[in-house]
Amino acid sequence: MSKQMTEMLKGTLEGVVLAILTVQPAYGYEITARLREQGFSDIVEGTIYALLVRIEQRGLVDVAKVPSEKGPPRKVYSLNVSGGQYLEEFWKSWSFLAERIELLRHHIDHPNGKGQKP
Amino acid sequence: MTAKWIEQITGSFEDKKRWRQYKARKEQLPASYRTAIDGLERYFMYAGAIVKGDVLMQMLDDLADLIEQSAADGTPIRAIVGDDPVEFAETFIANYSDGQWVNKERKRLTDAIDQAAGDA
Repeated sequence: MSKQMTEMLKGTLEGVVLAILTVQPAYGYEITARLREQGFSDIVEGTIYALLVRIEQRGLVDVAKVPSEKGPPRKVYSLNVSGGQYLEEFWKSWSFLAERIELLRHHIDHPNGKGQKP
Repeated sequence: MTAKWIEQITGSFEDKKRWRQYKARKEQLPASYRTAIDGLERYFMYAGAIVKGDVLMQMLDDLADLIEQSAADGTPIRAIVGDDPVEFAETFIANYSDGQWVNKERKRLTDAIDQAAGDA
């Protein structure tokens, strides 16, 4: 993954992980696997885990310890009400940012009016 | 009461117990995972600058959870920490910044600026 991509992802990964958890509760490895399936091929397990620790500390997810066949119990994360509100806020910020940046690009591509909003 | 007084001098008994448990967990890991956790632990100790014993132990317990689970799943070391282990370690440490010594200085700076800006 390019350095630029890593930097850009940093600010959005939290929202991305919460979005995955809205579908259904999951444990760390499942989240990493699903991100990889969706094209984030270089995502590492540790980064996701560190992020899950953070959103747990901030009370955005509930955690249940579920026994596993091999090894120690797994921590299964599910989105709670605060997490849902945070995610809503995240999508708003995302839409705003995406729209503004696109606008900026069109403005640069067509400085004489085309593609600009009035 | 007495226990509390002794802990003033010796440090928390609870933290010491957690530390022994953490070391025992490391012993159970396959060799390559143990090498990885030792490396990360060393970096955390130096770069984390965490002065609160309970916060430090929480960090190490969380690290052990990750490495144990990864070992059980057979996740390769590289897939845990990525191409840039330092980047991973820094992301991890950021979660425990409440226990860092520098936090006192952050508060001091914030207070100084509040005062200067007349917000205090």
